[in-house]
Amino acid sequence: MSIAPPRPGESGAGSVELIVGTIINVLVASSMFILVALGLAFIFNMMGILNLAHGAIYMIGGYVTYALAVGLGLNSWMALLASTVIFALFGAFLEKYCFRPFVGNFDAAVMVCVGVTIVLQNIVNNMVGNKVMSIPRFAGGIFKVGLMSVSYERIVTFAIGGLLAGIMIWFVRVTKLGQQMQAIAQNREAAFLQGISVNRVQSLACAVGCGLAAVAGSLMGAYTNLNPFMGDDMLANVLMLVIMAGAGSIGGVVLVGLVLGAMNAVLPVLLSGDYAQAIYVAIVVIILLFRPQGFFGHEA
Amino acid sequence: MTMDDRVSQGRMRIRTRGKSAAAMTALLLIVCLLPLFIDNPYWMHIIILTLIYIIVAVSFRAIAISGQLPLAHAAFMGVGAYVAGTASTLLEWPPWLTILLGAVSAAVLGGLTAYPFARLRALYYALASLFLGMAINYAIIAPRQWTGGRPGLSGISALFPDSRILFYFLCLALTLFSLIALYRFEHSRIGTTMKAIAQSHLVAGSVGINELFYRILAVVVGCFFSGLAGAIYAHYNTVLSYTSFNLMATLWIVLYVLVGGITSFAGPIIGTALLIIVPEAFRELRDLVPYISAGILLLVVYLMPQGLVSLPRLVKSWFRDRA
Repeated sequence: MSIAPPRPGESGAGSVELIVGTIINVLVASSMFILVALGLAFIFNMMGILNLAHGAIYMIGGYVTYALAVGLGLNSWMALLASTVIFALFGAFLEKYCFRPFVGNFDAAVMVCVGVTIVLQNIVNNMVGNKVMSIPRFAGGIFKVGLMSVSYERIVTFAIGGLLAGIMIWFVRVTKLGQQMQAIAQNREAAFLQGISVNRVQSLACAVGCGLAAVAGSLMGAYTNLNPFMGDDMLANVLMLVIMAGAGSIGGVVLVGLVLGAMNAVLPVLLSGDYAQAIYVAIVVIILLFRPQGFFGHEA
Repeated sequence: MTMDDRVSQGRMRIRTRGKSAAAMTALLLIVCLLPLFIDNPYWMHIIILTLIYIIVAVSFRAIAISGQLPLAHAAFMGVGAYVAGTASTLLEWPPWLTILLGAVSAAVLGGLTAYPFARLRALYYALASLFLGMAINYAIIAPRQWTGGRPGLSGISALFPDSRILFYFLCLALTLFSLIALYRFEHSRIGTTMKAIAQSHLVAGSVGINELFYRILAVVVGCFFSGLAGAIYAHYNTVLSYTSFNLMATLWIVLYVLVGGITSFAGPIIGTALLIIVPEAFRELRDLVPYISAGILLLVVYLMPQGLVSLPRLVKSWFRDRA
């Protein structure tokens, strides 16, 4: 993800605007990363499976919203809601048939996830091809403060992202269901022995995770264009996020998400595109060499 | 003779008589005589690609038997390819030199990066090498003036541009060389030591095995052959794109190995051949081709989790259960 140019109507020239623009880009990037990463983290924490198909779910969530909004003429918000529900159900399906049989079996999980990714990417690619598409805006208009102006679209994107992230943290820490999820993540067998219905909670976690990815995909599909392979980039970033945050920590995902979003938005300003990306990933690798369990993980 | 005696004598265990020897000879004959039967240049192209990726897949497994999952493998293939490519376009070196240079560069880079990574255990090694692969991929396209950046590198000198058949035989020779080398490597004392480390690094260490040395050696050897394959690919294709060596490419290599079966030497060979050739056989179905690959994947995962090499065993035990 690179810095998005100012939207029509927004100002963008001076250095104050550059700084504020960068901060807003950071917030948007971080919130999207965090949304998708939360889903991946749920699945990874509870089942030990790295859902390599998560990027594809993010992508197809955006496309389904587009299809509902443009094809069926629904309001963008309704389309978003419908798409989220659809992919929450899909998440439950995935959990039952693709993840549950392979808990603890890394090789098989990789095969299944890549298989699902191929299927999803090619369904979209065959139906869409090279057409450039973007979801109709969720919030039109420009927000003006003094000499600065920012599109409502950006504000809405990061506001929803932040809100959902906050709700997830509250959910995991405060509600009983969330604490059950934490228990399963810490020790599956003990949680089972305590009477927690592991399969049901797992299913719910997967559903929530996929729903969040669909929301992020829809928001990004309105913010920039949709593209059948946008999931690959997002998956790479989100994998880094989840591993750096460490297994078992949700608050950690948010914190690391902010840091990585900041690096992702700021580095391209200082260095040219590809060098920035190389250094960004190299920094992640070096950090992992010194602290492979991540910053907030609870296992070594 | 005890097991220890056999291991310490480092005997190579290729059978020189019996059923499997006859089968292998037949296979070798078929493969050498193939160009006489296949007129279609497109199929020759597919087979050449299969040979190149067989080298990559088998070298992936060579590292994997030491207990390390090198999820940066496609990136090292890319290193070999781009080093050979830039040496060819910028320095105008002859192909045999650039291929050698490509393979050695990949091996050296692999060794240098393996050193800090060798302290990591299984899953963490896999993840760290996954990100290393991404970093290498970006580092390759960053210096745009040398490597062509995102648009890619073109104009690499082609080996035997007029005769695909000659190239096929060169490729076949290099593939056979790689396979024999990797087979001997795995079944030598060094290979057995690496398997011991994979089984239990604590016990291996307690009998005096230098884990660090063997893990780095495994990576260096694996990356050498991966870089070799990449360099061959560069001179075959004459055009390079960074998307051929990204995360998805590594995942495909992992799939080739897993579908064939990671426990046997023939596994990656079978898996690569299947996953490259079968979808191409259905080329007329165009849009449905990726679903065929996905179908093979899902079939193997749900029915034969140990890979296709386990098929004879599964069939035998199924018949036995019915008796």
